[in-house]
Amino acid sequence: MYCKLAFRNVRKSLRDYLLYFLTLVFAVCIFYVFNSIEAQEVMLKISTSEKEILKTIAQVIDYISVFVSVILGFLIVSANHFLIRRRKKELGIYLLLGMKKSRVSRILIIETLFIGVISLGIGLLAGVFLSQWMSIFTAKIFEADMTGYQFVFSTSALLKTLIYFGLIFAVVIAASTFAVSRNKLIDLFSATRKNEKPGVRHPAFTVILFLLSIACLGVAYQQVLKYGLLDFDFKLLREIILGAVGTFLFFASLSGFFLKLLQRFKGYYYKDLNFFILRQINSRINSAHISISFVCLMLFCTIGILSTGLGMNRAMENSISAGTAFDVELYTGDNGVISISDDLASKGIILSDYTQASYEYTDYNNPSILGTEVLTTDVYDKLKREFYMSGREDPVPFIRLSDYNTLLGMKDKPELVLEKGQIAFSYSAASQSFRDVVQEKWNQTGKITLLGQEYAVYPKMLSESVVSKGQDSSLAIIVPDSFLIDSAGKITEGFAVSGSYLQFNCMGDSKKVQDELEQRVESFYKEDASSLQYFMITRNFLSTTYAGSKAIIAYVGIYIGLVFLLTSAAVLSLQQLSEISDNRQRYLVLKKIGADDRLIDITILRQTAIYFLLPLLLAIVHSIVGLRVANDMIRSLGGINAAQNILITAALILVIYGAYFLATFMGSRQMIVREERNE
Amino acid sequence: MSNMLTVSQVEKYYGNKGNLTKALDGVSFTVLEGEYVGIMGASGSGKTTLLNCISTIDKVTSGKIVIGGKDITEMKSRQLSEFRRKKLGFIFQDFNLLDTLTAQENIILPLTISAVNHRDAISRTEEVAATLGISDVLTKYPYQMSGGQRQRVAAARAIVSKPAMVLADEPTGALDSKSSRMLLESMEKLNTDLGATILMVTHDAFAASYCKRILFIKDGQLFNELIRGQQTRRDFFSKIMEVISLLGGDVSNVL
Repeated sequence: MYCKLAFRNVRKSLRDYLLYFLTLVFAVCIFYVFNSIEAQEVMLKISTSEKEILKTIAQVIDYISVFVSVILGFLIVSANHFLIRRRKKELGIYLLLGMKKSRVSRILIIETLFIGVISLGIGLLAGVFLSQWMSIFTAKIFEADMTGYQFVFSTSALLKTLIYFGLIFAVVIAASTFAVSRNKLIDLFSATRKNEKPGVRHPAFTVILFLLSIACLGVAYQQVLKYGLLDFDFKLLREIILGAVGTFLFFASLSGFFLKLLQRFKGYYYKDLNFFILRQINSRINSAHISISFVCLMLFCTIGILSTGLGMNRAMENSISAGTAFDVELYTGDNGVISISDDLASKGIILSDYTQASYEYTDYNNPSILGTEVLTTDVYDKLKREFYMSGREDPVPFIRLSDYNTLLGMKDKPELVLEKGQIAFSYSAASQSFRDVVQEKWNQTGKITLLGQEYAVYPKMLSESVVSKGQDSSLAIIVPDSFLIDSAGKITEGFAVSGSYLQFNCMGDSKKVQDELEQRVESFYKEDASSLQYFMITRNFLSTTYAGSKAIIAYVGIYIGLVFLLTSAAVLSLQQLSEISDNRQRYLVLKKIGADDRLIDITILRQTAIYFLLPLLLAIVHSIVGLRVANDMIRSLGGINAAQNILITAALILVIYGAYFLATFMGSRQMIVREERNE
Repeated sequence: MSNMLTVSQVEKYYGNKGNLTKALDGVSFTVLEGEYVGIMGASGSGKTTLLNCISTIDKVTSGKIVIGGKDITEMKSRQLSEFRRKKLGFIFQDFNLLDTLTAQENIILPLTISAVNHRDAISRTEEVAATLGISDVLTKYPYQMSGGQRQRVAAARAIVSKPAMVLADEPTGALDSKSSRMLLESMEKLNTDLGATILMVTHDAFAASYCKRILFIKDGQLFNELIRGQQTRRDFFSKIMEVISLLGGDVSNVL
């Protein structure tokens, strides 16, 4: 019987539950799809390095999922809280008719389970189908072949979804049971009439809270701008906590503060029903500010994730074209005297079959000349701070001018001429702004001391990426041949050969040739473990690696961003609708006093707009700060300004958020009209 | 004195052909300016329907209602709202003060709805509050006031826009006897001191005894009329009780 009652309740309040239900389904679906990413590899013919990427992504998603489930948990619990509030009178009637509290709780539990099971079922089903489609998408991004269709099903993702959402529903059940057991019958029964205790906070207290929140946010902003975001350490945690606390305090005190402020502008305060709206919001803010703060933080995440995700994509696209000058680079550590082309020839690869022109050279280093020393520590620290450059304290490679010029010649670039006593720096991989920092350093001094001797620095830093990527550092020093080798062919004392490089462009169908070469070179080592080991970098490899990571970052960003956006809009909508239904008596009084429909419309519109816009506005302010930092980070990876991505994000928000806003406004309006007819 | 309200041959039917309820069945009466008229009747007699029709919240099926020279049965919904806020004041059962607003804001509501300039509105509010002796509670919220103060705030809201007529629907319905008396006294004050025309629906004989004239309604029709004239309230009260005992049912109803 209780089951029947519960089912009927769900069906009856389907309209109220619909938003809640859809949000749940969507959350479950997305949760599953993302956690099943690793399982998709069975369908893809991808290299080990790409598998590594997938694994990393899966790990990242693992961490994100914890965060996502906490947020979803809070949202679902608060959404449920609103639904219970709406139904307090109904619950009161059960109690009045003599039902025990435990029985009422049981009805609620059955309802929650019912909705939970159905939404889990539908969400998982949708998730499984979507993940099939996603593997096709993934394959396309990796430019990988599909190994033939295989049903992708991730048991671990399924279990994870069940556990996480099971926990969330358990919390929901506990919360609703608590809501029933805590409330007195009289409170439940007169719930629609009784208002929440109006905000009787002292005005001075509100002002202090407001100022405190501004201070919190200010400090958090300043810290983020100062230290950046990349290091996940204690500092970042502190920034996040400060920001979150600031946001909560902001919304807790905002309405009270503005009420006081606007009361000074009587013309505006008493215009239309503005004071009614303000009072209305103020009276609800005690319970509403928590969810509004959550919505704000989520919107912040949405804006941040979407625009950085999209930006990251472009950044990587950018650096890939700058990254490689030649189709194939073969690199091997110090091998004595063996020439790479001779070694290849002895194994049956005749270079002239693959390329019209190739060049082989060696670079040198001196264990006492390190990167930190050459760049000087202060520049090095700056690079580390602003561009998140990881610590490279290895010896700097030296390249002979003649080798460098030959490579330039192969790319039809003009030759580099060094005057006597002059050396040049090459820094190939980094972005323009990165190079600017280093360039500035050389402009200041124009000199460098190496091994006790002073050299003039070539005024322009070389950025042609003709030097191999095989080197550990993208910093290299180009020196006259005589610096490294004397006329007799003897290497200068203190220096040693650090590696040999072979670079060339392929003939014909370059992609195919690269694959063929790659397979053959790999096979050497398999056939004979004692053979010379090569590191081979092909343009193919670089582009698939970049393509893989950029795309996954992009779509993780987009999907999670979308979930956040939808959920936050849904919660705002639910909250606003339940508020209107709780307080419809007030609107009816307004109508009786003589407010016409237009005025009621304006009132509802403004109220809804305030509810929807406030969190969005603060989120935008958060984002401006956040994106400044993120933008610097992207730029350091060689990216461009994220303006376009922000525009796309804004468009998405406008569409989804706007749709929810309109639906809420229409729903609220209809509720007042409809319920008036029911009177 | 001119006619403030003329109700002529008003009928209000609910339901459909098969199941027709005549809530009002040919009701006609007039109220003069400055009168304090009560409408009494048992539950379901149609008195609230009548008040709803007069207050433009509900529409009549046939007949005419003219308030201050304007026929409200001819008006469109937009005009009705305007008419309602300019010409009518309301006192509801349990006052219907908005508890999120202060007393001042509650009283000023009808004026802001009519888009009255805020300076005029505020001074008008203060004026009305002074008349009703609630100047010192203007900044308080309803839950911070005594019952009597709340009633006076409600009364102030009803007359702040200088309505042609104040309509009260069971104003004492949710009150204890002390509060009832205070509300009725303040309504009497509205009528005698400020000259407000008041139409009050009630089923409480004590409340009705404050009126100058009482219309009794039964099964949707006017049944009787009592005029207080020079009688004391006590005499008037016993007259009312007599009519009520009649209204309660004649011999045929007792079997």
